[in-house]
Amino acid sequence: MTKTPEKPVPRLTPDNRAFWEGCREHKIMLPWCQDCDRPHWPPGPVCPHCFSEALTWKQASGRGAISSWVVVHKAWLPAFAADIPYNAVQVELEEGVRLTGNLVEAPNEALRVGLPVEAVFDDVRLDVTLPRFRPR
Amino acid sequence: MFVLWTAKPSPAFYAQVKDAVAIVGIGQSEFGRYLPISQLGLGAKALRSALADAQIDRKEIDGLSLHMGWPLGADYDRMADVYGLEVNYVNQSWTHGRFVTSALQHAAMAVATGMAEMVACITAISFTRELSILGGPGDPEGMREQGATHAENPVYGLTSPAVGAAFAMQRYMALYGATSADLAAVPIALRKHALLSPYALMKQPLTLEEHQGSRLIVDPLHLYDCSLITDGAACVLLTTVERARDMPNPPVIIAGMQSVRSGRSEFIFAPPGLGINQQPSGAVTPRERDLAVYGRAGIGREAVQGFYTYDAFSPLVLFALERFGFCGAGEAAKWVQGGRIELGGELPVNTSGGLLSEAHVCAWNSINEMVRQLRGKAGPRQIPGAEVLQWGTCWGDSVIMRR
Repeated sequence: MTKTPEKPVPRLTPDNRAFWEGCREHKIMLPWCQDCDRPHWPPGPVCPHCFSEALTWKQASGRGAISSWVVVHKAWLPAFAADIPYNAVQVELEEGVRLTGNLVEAPNEALRVGLPVEAVFDDVRLDVTLPRFRPR
Repeated sequence: MFVLWTAKPSPAFYAQVKDAVAIVGIGQSEFGRYLPISQLGLGAKALRSALADAQIDRKEIDGLSLHMGWPLGADYDRMADVYGLEVNYVNQSWTHGRFVTSALQHAAMAVATGMAEMVACITAISFTRELSILGGPGDPEGMREQGATHAENPVYGLTSPAVGAAFAMQRYMALYGATSADLAAVPIALRKHALLSPYALMKQPLTLEEHQGSRLIVDPLHLYDCSLITDGAACVLLTTVERARDMPNPPVIIAGMQSVRSGRSEFIFAPPGLGINQQPSGAVTPRERDLAVYGRAGIGREAVQGFYTYDAFSPLVLFALERFGFCGAGEAAKWVQGGRIELGGELPVNTSGGLLSEAHVCAWNSINEMVRQLRGKAGPRQIPGAEVLQWGTCWGDSVIMRR
């Protein structure tokens, strides 16, 4: 029997490392500008709003609402073939940025734009934790 | 016929490019699936037919402008090698539909600035040989992370551009009350056009029932909302209008153009304001910068007799129509009903069937169709008296062509 290929894991960069390390501690950490006091996404080397380099990381609520969703029915990646049909959601956090994840602890029929959700943390490997979302 | 648009014209554009460059030759290979011909072989056929169309020798080509290279397509240097070309100007983008317009525009700019006299845009593609590249394990671009160009996010199983179009359509439906059945008007219209194209691969009408009953690829996109996967090649030759006047075909003149838009207000598969990835959410009325092409062409939107767009997924047609203001934000799903975008309607779209029903030659098949239309040689698909046509994509770039 052929071994199922492993699913992709995040590639850590100097810009996103703190986010993924936060996930391992079951926290949503966002890059935050100390000059204009705004978060941004995806993580970058500067604040896209004011171009400041004075960035820090702040823990976010993990709460938000689904801004859009899909259900994938085609196995583009063999590693996900057994999951079909699987959903993915974009979630607008209370802090304003939109993260991507999956809706869990609910059937695909529950998917709708505006559904209030909160982050949950899936320790997919000893060294990798992915945030997902559940209804709240 | 020509109505000056109220948007501010661009003096630099007038000085250099406006009405200075023409398409003087078009060609294409056969289109098909699993064709027993290499990409380069298909490209040679397209080039040969374009040279015959323009009645020039290949030695007269001194520039190449390509929107994609290896592995999906063929690289400029390999093309020059195997076709025996000697070029002084090269532009090549990487493998994406979003650089089709850019390749055409760079060809026009090269001619207008004197960097080259006769530029060939050649796209030669064998999608059916390279299925693993289309969002599959062999597609490094699908491995972009954290909400990339098409919302790719491989850790969540999102590696295909279709996902980006699906995220956009799902939100559009929720915000504006549009339905999948509304969306079906786009592929149904394009299928009607394909039935009139001798080059089209799709030979049967598409009904609403078939569309709705077809399998989901990425909810809300059904099979018929996604482009064909085909092999084929197309070639477009550009030179100065001055030289074009002495050539056999009526010149198709590049009247105005604007480039792809990028920034935090943009998501490639959505109109501004839809709220995908980090886009602000809130209906946007097209701004002056969104409509610059009309001012540069000195031609108003109301003079456009046919609209051609990159229809990799059917929602992209809706979003392009809204972006250029043919209808308001959230209105396109209703606007396209009742035959409005079909031949004989108010604004025929992709009159040879586009990527959805003719063939996926990265829309160069649709650009060839624009040229045929403006020459008055589109046969049963002819838009009566076609003088002004617009190419425009949902990522905001555009070229207005006129006779």
